[in-house]
Amino acid sequence: MARAKIHVALEIGTSKVCMLVGEVKSDGSVKILGIGTAKSAGVRKGEICDYSKIRACVEEARHKAEESSDVEIGSVFLSVTGAHFVGMNNTGTYRLPDKEKQIRPEHLKEAEQIAKGVSIGEENVFLHTIPRHYRVDAFEHNSSPVGLFGKTLESDYHVVYGIGTRIQNSIKCARELQMEVDDVVFAPIATAQYALNRSERERGALLIDIGGGTTDYALYLNGAIAASGCIAAGGEHVTNDIHMLTELPFSKAEALKIREGDASGDQSRSVGGIKIPFDEKGFTHQEVKRELLNEVIRQRMLEILTLVKKRLPAGAIERLGTGIILSGGSSTMHGLDKLAYQVFGQSVYRAEKSEISGVQANFQDPQFATALGLIRYAQLADIEKMQKGGFLSKLWPFGRKS
Amino acid sequence: MIEFPRNAQHTIPSSQVKIIGLGGAGANMLDRVALDGMDGAEMLALNADVRTLTGSVAAERIQLGRNLTKGLGTGGDPDLGKKVTQEAEAEIRMAIKGRKIIFLCVGLGGGTGSGGAPIITRIAREEGAFVVVFATMPFAFEGQRRRDQAQTSLNELAVLSNALVVFDNNRMGELVLAKQGIHEAFQAGDRMISDSIKAVIRLVIRPGLIHVGLDELMTALRTTRSRCLFGSGVATGKDRAAKALSNALSSPLLDKGALLREAASVLVHICGGEDLTLYEIELLMQKLVKYVPAKAHVLFGAAIDESMKDALSITLISALPEEKLQQNPASPVAEEQPLMEPSVGFGFEEKAAEPEPEPVIESFSFAAPEPEPIPVLAPEPEEPTIVLEQENGPEGLVFDGWQKEEISAPELQPFAEPDHAGDAPAADFSSILEKPADPVAAAARDLREAMQQEDPMTEVWTSTPASEEPGASDVSDLLEKTRAKFKQNELLFEGGSRGRFSNTEPTLIDGDDLDIPPFLRKKKK
Repeated sequence: MARAKIHVALEIGTSKVCMLVGEVKSDGSVKILGIGTAKSAGVRKGEICDYSKIRACVEEARHKAEESSDVEIGSVFLSVTGAHFVGMNNTGTYRLPDKEKQIRPEHLKEAEQIAKGVSIGEENVFLHTIPRHYRVDAFEHNSSPVGLFGKTLESDYHVVYGIGTRIQNSIKCARELQMEVDDVVFAPIATAQYALNRSERERGALLIDIGGGTTDYALYLNGAIAASGCIAAGGEHVTNDIHMLTELPFSKAEALKIREGDASGDQSRSVGGIKIPFDEKGFTHQEVKRELLNEVIRQRMLEILTLVKKRLPAGAIERLGTGIILSGGSSTMHGLDKLAYQVFGQSVYRAEKSEISGVQANFQDPQFATALGLIRYAQLADIEKMQKGGFLSKLWPFGRKS
Repeated sequence: MIEFPRNAQHTIPSSQVKIIGLGGAGANMLDRVALDGMDGAEMLALNADVRTLTGSVAAERIQLGRNLTKGLGTGGDPDLGKKVTQEAEAEIRMAIKGRKIIFLCVGLGGGTGSGGAPIITRIAREEGAFVVVFATMPFAFEGQRRRDQAQTSLNELAVLSNALVVFDNNRMGELVLAKQGIHEAFQAGDRMISDSIKAVIRLVIRPGLIHVGLDELMTALRTTRSRCLFGSGVATGKDRAAKALSNALSSPLLDKGALLREAASVLVHICGGEDLTLYEIELLMQKLVKYVPAKAHVLFGAAIDESMKDALSITLISALPEEKLQQNPASPVAEEQPLMEPSVGFGFEEKAAEPEPEPVIESFSFAAPEPEPIPVLAPEPEEPTIVLEQENGPEGLVFDGWQKEEISAPELQPFAEPDHAGDAPAADFSSILEKPADPVAAAARDLREAMQQEDPMTEVWTSTPASEEPGASDVSDLLEKTRAKFKQNELLFEGGSRGRFSNTEPTLIDGDDLDIPPFLRKKKK
């Protein structure tokens, strides 16, 4: 029916800017055409703090992406994150007018408006309103109730909102580089599109995306999103911790974290020390105790995971059928899966999906999960538009429908 | 055309080489060498314990202490080990006769090994052989006594042998993961020793195209009472030169190449199959040069060995004076010194003392008018203090230095006392010295205690107040200064610094600032 469509994902992360060009074929499969990454500068904890620097980085990533994919990038799907984003659940109840018995799209919209009626403060704006479940006269419906007969329509929504100006600034960054922004997506929601498939969501899964500056999470229960949010601590904090406690320069601390660090708390991995040899740049020889290094890393990771756990609704962990899925660059940390198991007591997986074709190296790495998720999000948004003839296009295609 | 056949590589027949395994550990090493396939070289196992001796794969075996122990071991007694070896001296001498090189493999700490090794080394030297000793030191958990026994024997060996290669069992942990089985750890240790032996043998019996041989080996190892630095690596495939070098440098004996920094001469031997290219050698040497001081004597050799096929092996051999090795957690000052002052060479210890103390004493000299007692007595105990302050800068710590200071503090008073009786300026002087001894020494003691806990921060604050000591003219002034320093650094510890995130808005969750390492926050609570 439809011809192939090209989508571009842009993720401005704390450690890297990533631009991914994906082609959604007519049969629904996704092929990654090219990727452009640039080391990020001017981003702290997921938010832009130096505008001119990050613009240069985005530009670099764009050039690389255009070169590798041979596509001129005109518009992007942008993922945003930051501690200011809040995800919450709310229910909108709408009583149909007396004369009408059949639910119409307008009624649904009305219910959504009511659900949005939460007080979110002056500076905040809604980013997503994702339908979770519908109830018609107290009877659960999982798909859209449009066309059904009933009196009261209740719809549960997962609402994500954040500070408007900060979101605007991210958009501005893309616009200034002559790229239109098709949509702005909260990062964990995008990542979940890639990292979790339908059956996993159905059984219940918690996605934890540990990136450079932030840790994003999204909880799915019964196929619908139940919680999402962001904690402003990530891999960069680990590096900073190592730097502060060992007084190693950042580059060395980073290398040490990646190569030698272990978060599992396994005593046998904390034996001895690591010699950091001198190099050409005049760095003098130093030795770091494994015990110290691993404990620093472990404490940080433990805290991050515990914070995530605390923010989840009560009883959610027990209801996870699938378990915990780790994603993001920092999730490659050695022993993190063991630590996550200790914290959550649920089986832990890493996001490894290959329903996408293209150069394998482009998407095997978990640090591309968010960008890949954005492409998937774009695809779903497209399908949504087409199927509903555009009339429901304002509703995000989540919950059972995806 | 006239063909002129000649042996381009001057090989020494391997029959002139003998590998001796002494005691239980030595037998293990010997077995490993044999199993790894050391064709040609003769092997000799020596042991008092008949059971292990018969289990050995060596072709030649000599039982020690036939009459003394009657087939049993020496039970960890080095004196007995000595005696049983002496008993078999004639036999050993016969076995060694005429050999150019003797490799002695021994595990120190036990009876036969610790007692016998020096004697066998002596016999071999008397027979005119070049003796390379491969010794292992016991684990720390084996107890101080065994360690002492090993140390005594090692000291003797250091003098007697031509080259001494010491493997510390405690460092074996670096060869394998902590989780791996003990047999794997020992295997790795044995394998490393066997690799070393093979590399040295390869070097000696196949001096190669670019000749290095016994003479160069001796040059590289010629420092009396020295420890051998040894690394050897083999690699195949693409980029094999770089891989082989990094393998060689990863040897625990080299400390990732850090120890090479202080070597005076380094022997490098490269051995490859027929496809060894000049370019590879060049590449390898370029990389190696970064680890070796510029003025070091690099003895380079290369050989072709068809049996290597497409592999390339590199062997690094060097020696460090023993003191140097112990001092090794080296302060950067000591490391740079040889480069700056070539004439000093390897005399270290003293040279750190040289530059500074003089001017400091000069600045002191309000006691100058009456020179007799003070320049001799009073400044002298101080000298070490000053020196180590220089060394103890934020860069590095030398623990010996702290011990010295401890000694110097009590010494101050007896020295100062005669001055007291002397005259006015001298009395002044001593009072300055004496008074700070109380508060500052107390502070220093606290610091030292704190330092034993190995807090990374303490290094910074320990040295600063101490270095204030001699320069200050007034005690209260001095205390003021030190106090200010303390506060500043404690503040740092309280979490004022957030490293990379110091300029961002803090992320507060439940009253915790997420940007401060949880490690520090948890500790504080």
